[in-house]
Amino acid sequence: MTARKIAKKHIADLLNEWRQGFNVFVPSRDEGVAKWARWDGGDAEFLEWYRNTVVPPKALFFPPLEEMFSFHKDGDGYRVEQPPPAEERWLIFGIRPCDARALAVLDLNFKEGYEDLYYLKRRENGVLVGLGCTRPYESCFCTSLGIGPTDAADVDLMLTDIGAYFLVEAVTDRGEELLGKTSLVHAATGADEARAEEARKAAGARVTRKIDSQGISEKLRASFEDKGFWERVSAKCISCGICTFLCPTCYCFDISDELVKRHGARFRSWDSCAFSLYTKMPMENPRREKWRRLRQKVCHKYEFYPDSFDVIACTGCGRCIRLCPVNWDITWVLSSLPVQKQVGLET
Amino acid sequence: MGQDSEWQPRILCFLCRWCSYVGADLAGTSRKKYPASIRGIRVPCSGRVDPLFILKALRLGFDGVLISGCHPGDCHYQTGNYFARRRMAITKRFLEYMGIDPRRVQVSWVSASEGGKFADLVTEMTQEIRQLGPNRLFADEKQGDGTTTTP
Amino acid sequence: MALTDCLPMKSRVMEQRLRREAEALLEQGKVDWIIGFEAGSLRFTTTPLITDDKDDTKRLVVSPFANNNLSVYLTGIKGRVAIVAKGCDSRSIVSLIQDGKVARQDVVIIGVPCSGIIDLAKVEGLVGRDRDEIDDIVREGDKVSITFSGDKREYPAGEVLFDNCLACELPTPQEYDILLGEPTAARGDEEKTKSREKINSLEGVKPDERWAFWRNEFSRCIRCYACRNVCPACFCERCFVEEAEPPWVLPIPRWQDNLVFQVTRNIHVAGRCTDCGECDRACPVRIPLRSLAREMYDIVGGLFSYRAGTDKEVPPLLTCYEPTDVEDFIR
Repeated sequence: MTARKIAKKHIADLLNEWRQGFNVFVPSRDEGVAKWARWDGGDAEFLEWYRNTVVPPKALFFPPLEEMFSFHKDGDGYRVEQPPPAEERWLIFGIRPCDARALAVLDLNFKEGYEDLYYLKRRENGVLVGLGCTRPYESCFCTSLGIGPTDAADVDLMLTDIGAYFLVEAVTDRGEELLGKTSLVHAATGADEARAEEARKAAGARVTRKIDSQGISEKLRASFEDKGFWERVSAKCISCGICTFLCPTCYCFDISDELVKRHGARFRSWDSCAFSLYTKMPMENPRREKWRRLRQKVCHKYEFYPDSFDVIACTGCGRCIRLCPVNWDITWVLSSLPVQKQVGLET
Repeated sequence: MGQDSEWQPRILCFLCRWCSYVGADLAGTSRKKYPASIRGIRVPCSGRVDPLFILKALRLGFDGVLISGCHPGDCHYQTGNYFARRRMAITKRFLEYMGIDPRRVQVSWVSASEGGKFADLVTEMTQEIRQLGPNRLFADEKQGDGTTTTP
Repeated sequence: MALTDCLPMKSRVMEQRLRREAEALLEQGKVDWIIGFEAGSLRFTTTPLITDDKDDTKRLVVSPFANNNLSVYLTGIKGRVAIVAKGCDSRSIVSLIQDGKVARQDVVIIGVPCSGIIDLAKVEGLVGRDRDEIDDIVREGDKVSITFSGDKREYPAGEVLFDNCLACELPTPQEYDILLGEPTAARGDEEKTKSREKINSLEGVKPDERWAFWRNEFSRCIRCYACRNVCPACFCERCFVEEAEPPWVLPIPRWQDNLVFQVTRNIHVAGRCTDCGECDRACPVRIPLRSLAREMYDIVGGLFSYRAGTDKEVPPLLTCYEPTDVEDFIR
């Protein structure tokens, strides 16, 4: 398949074409906060400032708030209404490789055992147009997790910045379909492809934060009982939900019911294992202490999820580091794990 | 309720058990007329009223909230109404800053013998709320009453 | 991360003294814990250091980026603590003492006379660059020089400090055991007025528009509770939002419920909030929470001439009363 390219100045026109068949979502700013929003025409000025959003694109597939069903008193009984899983086709333009990989990681959870139709339908109907990074944050560490800032593995169409143009590569059939009708995309030259390769290498080199993810699960297993270590590294955490809510691979949720006399609804909303009452049950709270919660958070991502699905539940997007109010840094924790041999465990 | 499509103000009243609630009761037994706009909640003391109750009442859609207690110096618990006075002063000013009309949240001293005062107060407040119109503070454009919304 | 290069001379002297004092306190068994700041893992960032190991005291820093209010950790720690406190932080400690949550004899307050903390969001706005693409930020006296791409620009400190620092009345801790340097003075009235710009403009619009403004802001809220958890005044073991069956406020991020949460929270901390600005800084979606907190601070100041955390002998504002308290609003 030959590579193609599109001029950056034509992106808005391309989005307009796609808008005929899809709900198009692009990065936008709300009071200076980068987020995903529906694109209603206009320009593609976000290309000038966009690095990554605060709330990850997981919020488009697994929203912070979702109504599961509502009910209304109807004579002697109740009428229950369930919003149907989203059928509309939609397109996310500009998703970063870390966030796209995170969706693939999330898929494993939402398919396993119970199939979460709300999430899966959105995934099925959502087309991903990836945009390779040129300015990774100092908090990014995707390259330590087998992902690069310009990886195309998890999107339908991939764009790589080569100056006045983007190199365009169709990764899936759906991606190829997207390009089918447009006249804005032209064949790329060998020089374009070489430039793209340079851009990829340059972006990768800019990711300076690193962890050694080799054998991390075993190291965590060996450190599990080290209460002193976990107490020390969790002391400054304030148990808010920023890291987990803004993490593209976190998926815990809570279910709440609202009843107002004659009608009500059941909602799903984001929950966080960092909250002090997360594991509270009538008789006890197994993770009442902060160090237990943080240990669980780290181990879930780097030990338990890999145990179940053979993949680390972290894609190095760095939001948790960038936005934590106390600069709690998971890469610091992982780099300072005390490695102790435990009897009976394979290392 | 529910049959008449014309809006009637609904005011939630927090009435202290020792003074205002008795005063409200006296208004009834004295056959004083006042609009059927109020819903009363008896609290041990006006000092029991957490501003959270006021926010919750507004959130639920009440058009007005009244907090009523004993006159200063007469509190059954000596000091409860003094704390209420401070707390309500702060609450009212803050709610006004948020953009909530201060006439929706009112505070009064009504003693056990002031049945007439209670009836007059409620009548006046109902009229004021009627002029303000229904509480649409938490209404959502999409959903109407804001108590259940589809995101 | 080259943090010490950003410190002017006098901070380095303060820093060395801080490390000596902290180490001595631990060594002599006068405290069980030190709470201070160390260099963070991101540029222009410090992070809390909570330790019982005297070797760790070598990492303590005094920095113009030390924004955290460390007193938030006092209600969760057991034993005697030496804590680094700027002016606002020491007021929060006093407020906790007034609330009976912290005993004066259990804390050794290491006071840092503060000349203001740099707001990276303001820096980013001024130079049009993200913080990790800026090479250097240096405070020298009342000027701050910012270097990026070989270009160096100088700004008056008043343009890059946090708004609450501009409004700060007591930058030097009044309550302390050790004072690390010479007292600093509050900034001028002009800057104090400027720091209230957002609130003043809100007060100037019609109530419906004010409510619409807040409704819009709280549509972004994701209920992460960073604002609450970073606040030293919010120490309830079970917050009102954590009551379920029946709930006061559902834990779902609808703007209506977000607003009820935040308004109630502000009223609950009235008289105990010292305008440290942490709630505002911590918010990941940049809701201007200080425009709520400072307004409450000024309401309390205006009605009762009360400033939180300035006198540890005085009972908390809402646990006392005066016969002359305002009651013109009562029917």
